[in-house]
Amino acid sequence: MSTFADSINLSLRRFRRTPAFTGFILFVVALMLNIIMQGIASGRPLAFFQPRSYGSLLMANTPFILSAMAQSLLLIVGLLDISIGIQFALVNVVCIMVPQAFGVPVWVGWIAAIGASLIISAAIGACSAILRLPAMLVGYAFIFIIKGINVSIMPTPQGKVPRAFYKAYDSLVAGVIPVSLIVLAAVFGLWLILKRRPLGKHMYAVGGNPRNAFAAGINPVAVQMKANLIKGFIVGVGGICLTLMTASGNPLQAENYGLRSLIACILGGLGFGGWGSMACGMFGAWFFVLIQNTVYYFFSFLSKVVSGFSVSSYWQNFVSDVILLLGLLMTIITAKEQRNTLKEGFINQFKRGERIDP
Amino acid sequence: MIQLLDISKTYGAVQALKQAHMTVAPGRITALLGSNGSGKSTLIKILAGLVSPNTGQVLLDGQEVFIRSGNDAKALGIATAFQDLSLVPMMTVEENLLLGDEPTRLAGMLDQGSIRQTVASLLERFSLKCQPQDFVQTLPPSTQYMLEIAKAVHRRPRVLLLDEATAALHQDEIDVLFKILRQLRNEGVAIVFVTHRMHEVFELCDEAVILRSGETVKSGPVSDFSLDDLVYYMTGQRMQEAAAYEGLTHKAGQAPLLTARAISLPPRVKDITLEAYAGEIVGIGGLEGQGQSDFMRALLGASQIFSGQIHFDVAKAQFKQPADAIKAGIGFISGERNREAMFADRTIAENIFAGNTAKGRRFTFLKKSAVNRFANQAVDTYQIKVGRIQDAASTLSGGNQQKLVIARWIAMQPKLLLLDDPTKGVDIHSRLEIHQILRQCADDGMAVIISASDTDELMDIADRIYVFYEGMVSGMLEGENKTHEHLVACMMGVCHIQPERQEGGA
Amino acid sequence: MTLKDTAGKLPRMDFKLLWMRFTKSPAAVAYALSALLFALTIIINPKGFNNNFIGSLILLTVLLAISSAGQTIVLIGGGLDFSGGAVMSAAAIFTSFTMDSKDGLFLQVLVMCLAMGAVVGFLNGFFVVKIGLPAMIVTMAVSNIVSRLQYVLTAGSPAGWAGPAFINSVIHRFFDVIPSIVLYAAVFFPIVFWLLQRSRFGKQVYLVGNNKQAAYLTGVKVNWVIIATYVISGMMSAFAGILGAGYKATARVDIFSEYAFTSLVAVIVGGTTFSGGVGTYGGTIAGALLMTVLSNLLTTLGLPQTMRDILNGLIIILLLMMYNRSKAVRQ
Repeated sequence: MSTFADSINLSLRRFRRTPAFTGFILFVVALMLNIIMQGIASGRPLAFFQPRSYGSLLMANTPFILSAMAQSLLLIVGLLDISIGIQFALVNVVCIMVPQAFGVPVWVGWIAAIGASLIISAAIGACSAILRLPAMLVGYAFIFIIKGINVSIMPTPQGKVPRAFYKAYDSLVAGVIPVSLIVLAAVFGLWLILKRRPLGKHMYAVGGNPRNAFAAGINPVAVQMKANLIKGFIVGVGGICLTLMTASGNPLQAENYGLRSLIACILGGLGFGGWGSMACGMFGAWFFVLIQNTVYYFFSFLSKVVSGFSVSSYWQNFVSDVILLLGLLMTIITAKEQRNTLKEGFINQFKRGERIDP
Repeated sequence: MIQLLDISKTYGAVQALKQAHMTVAPGRITALLGSNGSGKSTLIKILAGLVSPNTGQVLLDGQEVFIRSGNDAKALGIATAFQDLSLVPMMTVEENLLLGDEPTRLAGMLDQGSIRQTVASLLERFSLKCQPQDFVQTLPPSTQYMLEIAKAVHRRPRVLLLDEATAALHQDEIDVLFKILRQLRNEGVAIVFVTHRMHEVFELCDEAVILRSGETVKSGPVSDFSLDDLVYYMTGQRMQEAAAYEGLTHKAGQAPLLTARAISLPPRVKDITLEAYAGEIVGIGGLEGQGQSDFMRALLGASQIFSGQIHFDVAKAQFKQPADAIKAGIGFISGERNREAMFADRTIAENIFAGNTAKGRRFTFLKKSAVNRFANQAVDTYQIKVGRIQDAASTLSGGNQQKLVIARWIAMQPKLLLLDDPTKGVDIHSRLEIHQILRQCADDGMAVIISASDTDELMDIADRIYVFYEGMVSGMLEGENKTHEHLVACMMGVCHIQPERQEGGA
Repeated sequence: MTLKDTAGKLPRMDFKLLWMRFTKSPAAVAYALSALLFALTIIINPKGFNNNFIGSLILLTVLLAISSAGQTIVLIGGGLDFSGGAVMSAAAIFTSFTMDSKDGLFLQVLVMCLAMGAVVGFLNGFFVVKIGLPAMIVTMAVSNIVSRLQYVLTAGSPAGWAGPAFINSVIHRFFDVIPSIVLYAAVFFPIVFWLLQRSRFGKQVYLVGNNKQAAYLTGVKVNWVIIATYVISGMMSAFAGILGAGYKATARVDIFSEYAFTSLVAVIVGGTTFSGGVGTYGGTIAGALLMTVLSNLLTTLGLPQTMRDILNGLIIILLLMMYNRSKAVRQ
């Protein structure tokens, strides 16, 4: 009994040391706020726990959360991709247009979409890993390129998804588990496997110090390319989720995922290269989603209480971007926390390291 | 077993290796010797696959091989412990030790059990007390070096390269290491051992290869050499009791310009007390990484001290950033020219004017001719060889670049000038000129604090020498005490010489 | 060595030297390319070549050059400012909204817009310095907020008209050719030149951009300088926005958002590097001319927007390959 408690205690302490811990705390705080605010606004304290409620929240935000998880892989190997958002739109466009144009089954469109995502990711990877161009500006250039491609494939928003598909995506397994959660869990499972393979370790080494990784017999370019391709696959899955969620095509949507996913990752505790994990990106993204949801309930609560109070979508967009910036500001605190942890480690070693030579 | 033939390598204008050659035999420990900048590290990096030679051949068992990456080196059975470490600081001890060599089991998954076992036995073999899950970043330097060596040894190499492996190690760690190296030698491993410590050569090594200015000047069994011979081949001069510069002693009753008392600044500086008087040159000696750089940066306000007190020019000094210290009359010259001193893309004139640029009102009109006049004057005074002062500073040679940086500061007339290993990679002629300039400044009443990795340089220029060892002052050499033997002994931490006038402790 | 010795080979040598100097000067290359593309445009569409064409070319070049001034300073200082387009749009909206077809309000508008630009710039600089995140992320986040704020304040529809006298002061043509915006440029360009090339502040910006650590250790207050570059950039973008409102007469949300991209490319084409410490405003003006001529050519060719987008992206990649590759791990 006591050994069980001990092992829980130990793993808790180990979790506290991981970079994902600050992100996890942020996530828990945001979750609490959401539960409380939603309870107040709807008049039913446990409104959040209805499967329909959290199910639709998850369904609508799974693409964004996946974008942050994909982004985290790049950050680990020391790259980043700000065009990741518009890549979701690319996948969406291919998903819709391939069945529509060639009359093939929907799943063929999906495979084509994942293929398109992989090709774009390989191109971006080639620019940043092989040609060694600054990843940030490569992403900026690719926003234009992908936008152009999207619009030439699908000039205006259009298209449909068979009802059975988007209904299935929006359903609950066993009445409590949303399908989108299963998708998220599957992608996270992919990460857990990756982490337990040599490639996972090599990713951290390349991100932390490419020269030393090279000296240890690792090929930094190959590792960065692999990370880009895995990211491309996740974006493909995320783009399909986006298609199922909107049940239509739009060549210019989701662009802001690029910046938002980056900020979510950093807020969740990822550093630029070799520090953090996919859990950081996931928690950071959940934090954003939940805070935004809380704000929504806060406004709906206000409009109930204050007569004549109404909020335009402009206001909501504004508030959500201000939250983004505040999130950036918060990284000062979270990063400081991590620096402190590290500094404590230093000072401990420093004291322990005191020795008297004979 | 391994032969290097006619290896040459140039970095820009600098020729690091000039048709160097070396032969390494199995079951022998070969000492690779040479003074700073003689090309030892470049040679090691070529074997490790980090640097590609311009010309020359590498033969392994008589076959020519091409080592283009760390992976190639690994495949050929070459493992290296680098002087500047190849550990990834943000990863754990366990991950670092097995990086690029992780044992896997079914379906390519990591074999955690085997990893744990291997790491535990490695740590045990090297008597390391750190935990497998510790982040390397948080470990003391000596442990990091041991890990670097352990990582290389774990590869079971046929050829093991150790680049100044012992520089940061404690005596007990060195004992452990030597035991392991002898064991490996008996197993038939070829070992290349780069060191600055001559006694280690005689204690451990079988063969010696000596480089000077990128050329192999001598090689043969260690038993053929005496200590004198080694030093002669490395420096080109016979060791002799040169009339050492005695050094000034500051006048009694004079108040120190700078007093640093019990300064500590983790992780490198533990407890440093130091004084500097106007008109003298204070040397700071020690092996690399004993806290010299960190201490200087603390004086400048570039990093904040953890505890202790600094008094400058009578007042208590609390500089928040270098701008404050410079305003108070301190100047700083870094030996890391490219990283910390040069504005390589800017013109020579702008580089010289940089100290002036940093000071004074920002939104005033600067006449171009005024800047040029200032620069021309400095170029003339300090005899910096330039094409035109409007050329980019990167067109200058290393020695002239350093003179340029020194000119920048001396033109500002600071009361105290800090120099952190200023003559690193500077040719001997420029070095002498820099020494003369500094002596002139001191005679004019400036206080100069200079740290140097070269012991001869310190003996030549400094009036008094503080020797740093593990973030503390292991010796203050002055007057009769200021001898080469004392300096080296204090650097190794085997001797403690304290100033006669003990200041009140912390 | 002496003149005499080389006299014999002088003509050849001189040409070679000139060519080398030419290729080394991005501004010269930009001017030459502009001339080439300009000629191409006229050949394709000779009818389009008239006074109005020349006039609008000058006007747009000057407007782009003014809006790129801030980016030039920030890039030289080692930063990157993506909020230029949003600040410009906001200033334009503010101008047309405040003037509301009335004259005599220029000074108020100028002061308010510059203050707004300074505030946004300060936020940019402060966050870049304090958060320590890449400038691109920070300025994009700030830029988004500035855009959103425009939507909130105007509810998405165009707001008011600039004063007629003010409009005239921007678009009036002297001799039917030269637009009166050059009068603004005659004041603005010398100020930028002084700031960058002939003030201590400018020198500090170059030092910080070339080697931040060295500048810090030389006693430059690095953070102060970085924040100042962003503040100045914000103010200059706001000024460009005011003139932009005069040019377009009215303003809607994000009317100048593409200037974030165009100005960045103009600056890079003009020889300022992403890595900082190198560049001149003269080069930027040349870059602005090239971008304007290029845009004219693409319009003349009738290229669809999708192709223009893809082309824009490829131009950035190309510029990065030319100017900004990092070193290989292996030497």
